[in-house]
Amino acid sequence: MAAVVGAAATFASEEDRDAYSDRFPVDPHRHRPFAAVAPTSAEQVQALVRIAAAHRVPIWTVSRGKNLGYGTAAPVVAGSIVIDLSRMQKITVDVENATVLLEPGVGFYDLYDYLQTRSIPLWLSVPGNSWGSVIGNALDRGLGYTPYGEHTRNFCGMEVVLPDGDLVRTGMGAMPNAPTWQLHKYGFGPAWDQLFVQSNFGIVTKAGMWLMPQPEVVRGFDVEMDRMEDLGPLIDVIGPLRREGVLQQSPTIGNWFRAANILTTRKQWTDQPGSLSDAVIAAIRKQFGLGWWGVSLRLYGRETVVQANLDILEKALNAIKPMSMKPFSWRPGDPFSPTQGGWMGVPMTFPMQSANWFGGRGGHIGFSPVLTQSGKLAMEQFERTYARYKEFGMDYQASFAFGERHLLNVNAVLLNLDDPAFMKRVDPFLRTLIADARQHGYGEYRAHLDYMDTVAETYDYNNHALRRLNERVKNALDPAGILAPGKSGIWPAGHPRGSRT
Amino acid sequence: MRRVVPICLVLLLPLLARGADLTGKQLFQQKCAMCHGAVGMGTGLLARRMKPEVAPLEMRADLSAAYVERAARVGILNMPPITRGDVSDAQLASIAQYLAKGKP
Repeated sequence: MAAVVGAAATFASEEDRDAYSDRFPVDPHRHRPFAAVAPTSAEQVQALVRIAAAHRVPIWTVSRGKNLGYGTAAPVVAGSIVIDLSRMQKITVDVENATVLLEPGVGFYDLYDYLQTRSIPLWLSVPGNSWGSVIGNALDRGLGYTPYGEHTRNFCGMEVVLPDGDLVRTGMGAMPNAPTWQLHKYGFGPAWDQLFVQSNFGIVTKAGMWLMPQPEVVRGFDVEMDRMEDLGPLIDVIGPLRREGVLQQSPTIGNWFRAANILTTRKQWTDQPGSLSDAVIAAIRKQFGLGWWGVSLRLYGRETVVQANLDILEKALNAIKPMSMKPFSWRPGDPFSPTQGGWMGVPMTFPMQSANWFGGRGGHIGFSPVLTQSGKLAMEQFERTYARYKEFGMDYQASFAFGERHLLNVNAVLLNLDDPAFMKRVDPFLRTLIADARQHGYGEYRAHLDYMDTVAETYDYNNHALRRLNERVKNALDPAGILAPGKSGIWPAGHPRGSRT
Repeated sequence: MRRVVPICLVLLLPLLARGADLTGKQLFQQKCAMCHGAVGMGTGLLARRMKPEVAPLEMRADLSAAYVERAARVGILNMPPITRGDVSDAQLASIAQYLAKGKP
């Protein structure tokens, strides 16, 4: 492999192995790779997978390797070789059609800077940690906060290296030089883009993404709801407006914890172990002026349309008597606070300051079941989850992110890597949450390396027909079983399920 | 050993497609400023441990090049290690020289 990428792109020291390991680990020893290589072209990626197949060496692909909370750059199977695509950084923007063709090493900041320095009036949607790759985040179904916030939906056409070294372009890209590769998502016959999302069927070396034309105005409200039980009514107000299209963004309801864990440390509030008490919660809410729940609702587009929808939104919100409702209004050229970046497509890293909540080495891991947009059912799921947070002595951080028809209930577990007793509680806590959700028919949309098998296990209709299908495809495309064994719970034939080495 | 090697490698490494002809300041902006710029995670957390006006790395007067390279490669507290795939040894050497303002 070093012969393919060169010695300067081959990383196999102990320090390199540490650097490519998981930085927010439940168990720091579980996913250490053997080495990493950094190709610069699809041709090099093809050569690498052919070598891996010939020698039956497991490989693990990362776009930029910044998937903090889900495994960072580390593989499921320890001893794998990481194919680090960080150095593939080409950007080709089609301004008129509002699309971009990207390589996986392009980060959110890279694309943002590219558009800004050229005064291109196109916006991206960014996740709460925007350090990573635009493609990589969408391949793991990451979320943002604008109308383009469901990132995996923005894909339009891919170039993929298959595990046998073949190179395929999906959709209209299957026609050489088609001018419509980034315009029509399906092409002719089966559409494959989602087959390469959260899977181990191929290595995406290019992907088309749709970008949002800069809106004429952005308007909306930052809404705070006073009581715990206000979650249900808030969901029941937003859901219909989202389904109808009055709201087109991906609004995210968050709890009282969302500012405190970024701007302060736990010791500033309490020295008591266990979940934060009601008294501490009240103090936090008072300092930051927050409700038990809050949500930032934004409308984007032509001013007359936005204003008409804003009036509808305001009337609907007033009916549930918010604790506060702060208006937001922007048009091109207006300044805005960096804390508004998520709704304005500006990359950010400051939310990751929550890794310092316990004052030392920290991190986070998520539990994120997919729910319906029912206030009653979401409230019931919240109550079960919150009770478990208290039972296991964890500080409760939750969000409810709207899709067009679903809710993603992203619960963060803030880690204290300096406290072994605390860390021992994390794994049973997460497994309990997954089992609780399963009982009610809720499955997770995304998982850390350690929980991919556990989550896949819950998708078990008809004796795991979906997993059997995934693994039939896997074995057909990757007969040597080298590409990311265990990713999303998909294991190749001959590799014992759950084997970590 | 790696503290010395990168300076030699600058002359020997094949130039990368992107970043090879950038200055240390430009590389800092491209590779580090997302966390160590005005409102980044690194600046926010360093401001808890030192005077806020010197929390941005570009405002520091006490950084040595060797320290910057070591900190980037092994990580500090909540800062993850920066992989060599993301920032090459040559690029990191250039960034470290810039932040150290001439100190070795």
